Amino acid sequence: MSNEFSDRISAQRAILAVINEKSWPAEALFGLSNKAIERWVNTNRLGDNLKLVNQIRKVSEKLFFLANKSQDQVSDEYQLVRAEIMTACHEIHDELKLIADA
Amino acid sequence: MHIYAFGSVCRGEIRANSDIDLLAIVNGIDERFDLNLYSIYSYNRLTEIWNEGNPFAWHLAKEAKLLFSSDGSDFLDSLKIPQPYQSCRQDCEKFYRLFSEACRSFVQNETTKIFDLSMVFLGIRNFATCFSLGQLNTPDFSRHSALRLGSSSLMIPSDAYEIFERARILCTRGLGTAISKGETNRAAHEFRAIEEWMETLLLRVPTHEQ
Repeated sequence: MSNEFSDRISAQRAILAVINEKSWPAEALFGLSNKAIERWVNTNRLGDNLKLVNQIRKVSEKLFFLANKSQDQVSDEYQLVRAEIMTACHEIHDELKLIADA
Repeated sequence: MHIYAFGSVCRGEIRANSDIDLLAIVNGIDERFDLNLYSIYSYNRLTEIWNEGNPFAWHLAKEAKLLFSSDGSDFLDSLKIPQPYQSCRQDCEKFYRLFSEACRSFVQNETTKIFDLSMVFLGIRNFATCFSLGQLNTPDFSRHSALRLGSSSLMIPSDAYEIFERARILCTRGLGTAISKGETNRAAHEFRAIEEWMETLLLRVPTHEQ
């Protein structure tokens, strides 16, 4: 599989796995599209201002950015955003731990 | 700047949960376009995929309708017919691997099962589209391309197929009723049949394409 395509799918799967380790009241997060996130926020009554929701929205934006940028083959920028996604994934993990510990 | 519609709306396939696929062709970065709503390409990249005979180029060439042109021209029309599609084997193998990885993840992970079923659907659909473009005379770019390959169509029960499709719509558009554990298991029961279908069709795709 082309690495960029495969990487994006793997990144989505890894982020969803981190988020869904926590048991959500109504539904797990099914995908990282804007509309899937919106559904998850609404069904679980999380509120748009929750830090975790903003972190997930940001990582979603970066993934969509990559999907488009990969079509333009902007390699340096691609690597930079990919690193940002990994960092964001760790931040989401840390934020979930804070929520669990609260 | 050029804006085109493509996909189901251009085929007249309107369903309650249909979205509208939009393509924006721009020079440089144009932040007015929402990445959730548009596929954004540069003029150079589109010209490249036309010259590569890329499946997306063929999809656009067959279906895209011009909505807006800043200079009055029809850019895609000016590119004429894309180069012949030559990467059928490579693309079918790519989507076979996407399917296989999703099946593996489904078995190993409790937390991403709906996403994995969604990736199975994406693998099935894209595999079928590439196969139809490379091996049949009737390329099919629709969501249900796997069911429209004549004698080569995917033959699994419709209730299982619909669970894969529902997973895809949940993951992308956030629409539909949630999928129960029983339904995920029902869908997973068809993994082997889907694998055999892909493997059978792969045998018909030449390894070294000219």
